Amino acid sequence: MSDLNAGRADLINSRHDPRYEVTMYRHVGVDGAHTLEYYQRHGGYEAARKVLTSMTPAAVVDEMKASGLRGRGGAGFPTGVKWSFMPPPDGGPRYIVCNADESEPGSFKDRYFLEDDPHQLIEGMIIAAFAMHVTFGFIYVRGEYYHGYERTVAAINEARAAGLLGKNIMGTDFSFDITVHRGAGAYICGEETALMNSLEGMRANPRLKPPFPAAAGMYGRPTTINNVESLTSAVHVINKGAAWFASMGTEDSKGTKLYQISGPVKRTGVYEMPMGTTFREFIYDYAGGPTLEPKAFIPGGSSTPMFPWEDRFLDMPMDYGSLAKNGSMLGTGGVIVIPREKCIVDALYNLVRFYAHESCGKCTPCREGVGHWLPRMYQKLVAGLGRPEDVDLLENVVGNIRGNAFCPLADACVMPVQASLKWFRDEYEYLAEHGRPKYQKSDWWQA
Amino acid sequence: MIELETTTPYFADKPEVLSEILSRYPEEGRRSALMPLLWEVQRNERYISEARMHEIAEIVGITATEVKGVLSFYSTYHEQPVGKYHIQICSTLSCALAGANEMYDYLVNELGIVNGETDAEGRFSLQKAECVGSCGTAPVLLVNDTYYERVSKSRCQHLIQALRQDDMPEPWRERGGDTEGANKAIPLGRSTPAAGQEGGEA
Amino acid sequence: MKVVVNDVELELAPGTSAIDAVFAAGDDVPYFCSQEYMSPIGACRMCLARVGSPRKDRDGNWILDEETGEPKIFWFPNLMATCTTQVSEGMVIDTESEAVKNAQNGMVEFTLINHPLDCPVCDKGGACELQDRSYEYGDGLSRFEFDKRHSEKHHELSELITLDRERCIHCKRCVRFFEEVPGDEVLDFIERSSHTFIGTMEGGLPSNFSGNIADICPVGALLDASSRFRGRNWEYDHTRSTGMDDATGSAVIVDARTGRIERIKAALNPDVNKTWIDDGTRFGHEYVDSPDRLTTPLVRRSGELQPATWPEAAAFIAERLAGLGGKDVGLAIRADSTLEEGVAAQALAEKLGTGQIDHAPRPAASVIANRPATLTELATADAILVLGDVTEEAGIIDLRIKDALKGVTPPAMMAHGVPIADLRLKERMPRNASILTVAAPYRVDLMRHAGTAITYPVGGEAAFFAALTAVAEGEELSAEQSAALGTDIGTAKQLVKRLQDGKNAVVVLGGFALARRDAADAARAFVKAVGAKEMPVGPMANSYGLELLGVLPSHERYSYEGMLEGARALVLSNLDPAKDPDVAAKLKDLELLVVHDMFMTETALLADVVLPARSVYERDGTVVNLEGRFLPVRAAPVEAGNAEDLTGVVRYLGEALGERMEGRSVRSARRVLKKRFDMDLAELADYGTMPKARSRAAQRTSPREAPATGGNLLIVPSMARAEYLSRNPHLNAAVGGPKLRMNPADAAQQGLMDGAEVRLRAGGIWRDAVVHVTNNVPSGLMTLPTLPEQAVGVTQADLGSLVVNQVRLEVAS
Ligand SMILES: Cc1cc2nc3c(=O)[nH]c(=O)nc-3n(C[C@H](O)[C@H](O)[C@H](O)COP(=O)(O)O)c2cc1C
Ligand code: SF4
Ligand code: FES
Repeated sequence: MSDLNAGRADLINSRHDPRYEVTMYRHVGVDGAHTLEYYQRHGGYEAARKVLTSMTPAAVVDEMKASGLRGRGGAGFPTGVKWSFMPPPDGGPRYIVCNADESEPGSFKDRYFLEDDPHQLIEGMIIAAFAMHVTFGFIYVRGEYYHGYERTVAAINEARAAGLLGKNIMGTDFSFDITVHRGAGAYICGEETALMNSLEGMRANPRLKPPFPAAAGMYGRPTTINNVESLTSAVHVINKGAAWFASMGTEDSKGTKLYQISGPVKRTGVYEMPMGTTFREFIYDYAGGPTLEPKAFIPGGSSTPMFPWEDRFLDMPMDYGSLAKNGSMLGTGGVIVIPREKCIVDALYNLVRFYAHESCGKCTPCREGVGHWLPRMYQKLVAGLGRPEDVDLLENVVGNIRGNAFCPLADACVMPVQASLKWFRDEYEYLAEHGRPKYQKSDWWQA
Repeated sequence: MIELETTTPYFADKPEVLSEILSRYPEEGRRSALMPLLWEVQRNERYISEARMHEIAEIVGITATEVKGVLSFYSTYHEQPVGKYHIQICSTLSCALAGANEMYDYLVNELGIVNGETDAEGRFSLQKAECVGSCGTAPVLLVNDTYYERVSKSRCQHLIQALRQDDMPEPWRERGGDTEGANKAIPLGRSTPAAGQEGGEA
Repeated sequence: MKVVVNDVELELAPGTSAIDAVFAAGDDVPYFCSQEYMSPIGACRMCLARVGSPRKDRDGNWILDEETGEPKIFWFPNLMATCTTQVSEGMVIDTESEAVKNAQNGMVEFTLINHPLDCPVCDKGGACELQDRSYEYGDGLSRFEFDKRHSEKHHELSELITLDRERCIHCKRCVRFFEEVPGDEVLDFIERSSHTFIGTMEGGLPSNFSGNIADICPVGALLDASSRFRGRNWEYDHTRSTGMDDATGSAVIVDARTGRIERIKAALNPDVNKTWIDDGTRFGHEYVDSPDRLTTPLVRRSGELQPATWPEAAAFIAERLAGLGGKDVGLAIRADSTLEEGVAAQALAEKLGTGQIDHAPRPAASVIANRPATLTELATADAILVLGDVTEEAGIIDLRIKDALKGVTPPAMMAHGVPIADLRLKERMPRNASILTVAAPYRVDLMRHAGTAITYPVGGEAAFFAALTAVAEGEELSAEQSAALGTDIGTAKQLVKRLQDGKNAVVVLGGFALARRDAADAARAFVKAVGAKEMPVGPMANSYGLELLGVLPSHERYSYEGMLEGARALVLSNLDPAKDPDVAAKLKDLELLVVHDMFMTETALLADVVLPARSVYERDGTVVNLEGRFLPVRAAPVEAGNAEDLTGVVRYLGEALGERMEGRSVRSARRVLKKRFDMDLAELADYGTMPKARSRAAQRTSPREAPATGGNLLIVPSMARAEYLSRNPHLNAAVGGPKLRMNPADAAQQGLMDGAEVRLRAGGIWRDAVVHVTNNVPSGLMTLPTLPEQAVGVTQADLGSLVVNQVRLEVAS
């Protein structure tokens, strides 16, 4: 099948590859895995010990660079490079913030770390903190993850009691501690600068960049923001070495990644796979294939433009480059399968409503366009009151929003709309003409 | 400064709670305590009154206006008391595909309240929520802070019954994928039909 | 650096914003959220443009374009908000291509979908940025066919500001203003997304500067409540003048219509008030229109004051004066009289041959600094000591001090004026409070922003400065010296060191420091000792000018206070000494009492002749602000009956006395002033002038001193002038009346509750006041706002005389 993978035989990019083993999610879901005792019994905090006792900060950063790990929060920026942006220490406070706001529809991988394996995250943060001479860390957990919040706080207290956090960690002269901060329901808080405003007790509007967080972040001090998975990956990069990590994936996307799948498939959930695994392998071999006839899939969370259910897309490796080449994004790796019978206009109405609800209201195109106009246009279409011109108007209005907003949220809303128009315009036009959807929406609720 | 309603300050008799929350943040970040303070009040009073806003403003050294600006920004702080069981229904795509809307309609009938309302006895309140990060186990309900996932119709009925008896059932735990423990997710072999060939297997 | 805007090449300073580059090039780009003197935030997205710049390769050479051989321009993938984009070497900015026009058109459309378009009934109509920009950059038609957002249209944010929530376009100017300029976060966004609206939880907008948001709101969402529905912008006559409510000389625009002042707005003076004014200056004008204004002269005939013409009144006066020796006549004018009026007064005094001439109120010490600091120097100071309550005394000083705390120097003016987007300014900028120390006998507002706040004993200014000087000279402090500091010795040492080390240290001397000579001498000795500059704050708009001109008595006993006792005849302009019954008794014995005033005051009631006076908005002339800056005062077209200013009074008297006196008109007065200051004041520019060579101040004689201590009442400065408050309904409601502030303990002891309306004899004068219970005043002390007849300083209130007129219950909102 996937000739896109040709010449990459040396790289592990299929979970079928015998050399592949699950690492990050090894213990997730196992009872008791959230305790320090369990974690240490399974080799926990050894990576941190190695770093603190036998490596220099610079060496850690180099190791991360060598691993080729790219940010798992969506933007996919090389983590090692990001860490190297922190200015040299000046004696003042420096921060690391773990982005555990996970609010992108279709994404649910970070939650289980907090609930079942918080020590892995803590260890990752210790490594990152040491590498960047960071003095204090925050974990920004979305408000709904209360269980995960409690587990993580408990784990931090355990770790502190065991000398793994706080003053002179593991007897070294490195000191570092972590506070967990609960969000309260706002998708925009996932955007790193909005997140910092939220953490500082302000309204969570995004900030101007520059200055970038590394120059002036939390409280105006050097700060690095990383996704949960980026940080847990770091643990294994240190444990098994950059070479091991880089032996998996594709040219531009290394290592293993947590892919999520939801919608009508047999086994929804989170799967850890080598990067470059194809959608087909993921959806069929692991998720067990669709349970309703599919017509489209969203590749990496609701913000990533969808693809129609076609071989050329199913055989696409799940890596940053391939998706970018095909006009979408890997995002958070949250696949959503859309069944044939689901009216695409209705599906997009659902997403547009989400973004309208989550717009922060700072800038005009997003507040008025995404927040007010788009949902009303969709409401009208879905109610069967649309006219054919309305489809062109919709296309024109989203075109006016695209690229003109203050932060990426507005684009995250309009790009999927544009993709749906590109692949399924017929459904829009049918609905506008006949006043009823081409496909009766089929949402099922199990008895 | 206007006169506050004469309510006893929430933190008057909880100095240790207050200092614990403040101690979580560095000095330069006193204002960061704002959200946890709001949570502390809401978890105990089920909403945040204006008097509390003024009190918290005093504590972190900002104006009540700023406090209101912040808390109103988020969707899960309440300015009106909510029911003893605050039910949030995730309504975003993955949950919608799995029947969230039907579930909502069912609850509206069962509880006789619609989105944003609280019933007369103050037991239930209903709120449509946006993606709560549990798409793999759709559809999903939150009762206060507890997730109930893969909520089938029968489970939903049973849950409401239980809540009426004031007992919160243990949330059933099914997640799928590697979240059941990596070894559970054995591959189903390499049966990978080309597009168009597969039919709905459900 | 070189920047190209639509093919026009220009040279710009590094750090310039792209939006200012566009305007500097003479082009235009629409914008709503950017605002002069505030941080650019890139929220409205109107100012989008296509922006590109050349890049350097690894070895630092420009990457060249194959064809042209010129540096290759790399365009940004998206259009950029020019307000938040900084120019770089070789940057190319395009605001005219189709893409840009479409985007601007699109943004206008988005901005309008929730805007009510009720322009025909909107006060902003004709002066609305949204209206203008929609015409220029919109294509007129909206394709939005759904319901607009509906919300409150008449929401009273405060007594002074009304909000129409439907009109708001979320530019955030008002919210940023409060945070960035006065630092009073009393207004904020509430909710999010398209539900976002502005509101407050403070029960009003507790800030002395709230009115400015009505000026900067780009649409008709925030309106001056005192002028709502009064008129349309194009019906107003706009007169640029100088604010006469305090000594800062803030630039204002007086909007009048059909002979009536409708509103006052801030005008730009980069060196003085930038574009801000305080609420006293803005809303304190309603008295001008009050029905009981005197419009015609009155002469007492057979015991009755009866209407007369000016010539009749003048003849009457001339006749009475004839019987008097010059020395018997006293002449006193209010300290906000113009220089031209001062010349007139001097001419009259000279004609009468009297040395009994003075202006009032006049502090015991000179308001002219030995080592003067300008407002710009204050705004760029690195160490500041403030004595007194400058926020109430001269609000602009408060704001310029807050500039200094941000450490951002005033922007350089550009061809198109003040930079639209000064990229050095940020939201929630850290303020370096440590450079500011505020000292006063009670807790003042500016202390919230001060690194060090000192409350010294009441009346202890002289001792306070003496002790500080001792610290500066490294002396050991005695017990009572330490007590006089009002703070611990360590703090005092730090303060002194900061002032000594400061490259640009400024000490602001509020009224308390000038109220007594010993205090002022001690203060100035200290300023000298630490090598700082000083900024004395005179009590009124032209205190500096009238002292400089020398409208002063020839001898101490001829000062205003003196002449009230000594003179046999008095000519008083806008002063009301009879508020004090004891003085009133004396005035009854006068052989001649001439009162020139706007209202039938206590004193006017005793007068033989009452002459109708013009308000400060009805005069042409010149004032000198606390920096020594000469500023133009221009009469607005306001109906004032037969009222005249002092030059008019002198003109008529001159005619009656058969002499053409200097100062009989503004023009003739200016001839005198030209000789005196060699400046043609008719030519005075809007921003005013600071004479290079400071003309030597006239030999100064001091008025009678107030007692130092031993008082239970402190007369304090007030942003809202107490003498007019009862005739300024909006301002009165906003500030809660003339406040008698007292400590809760004292209030309890007196059995007074907050909001009680009382009358009491204070420092001799009967005062009406509203009790305000607060912890900001120490127990044993009360405060009352100053009057022209009652200068700031310590005095005695007769609590026995206190009667409660009415108890107003404050309802908690
Ligand atoms: C609207 C928006 C929402 C985002 N939400 C999240 C999120 O929920 N979790 C996350 O890790 N990153 C999120 N991001 C990306 C973050 O801004 C940031 O790039 C990321 O946390 C950096 O971490 P990484 O480099 O480890 O990926 C979001 C970005 C945008 C623009
Ligand atoms: S695009 Fe604008 S309104 Fe939307 S979230 Fe970003 S800044 Fe806020
Ligand atoms: S975005 Fe509003 S002025 Fe630039």
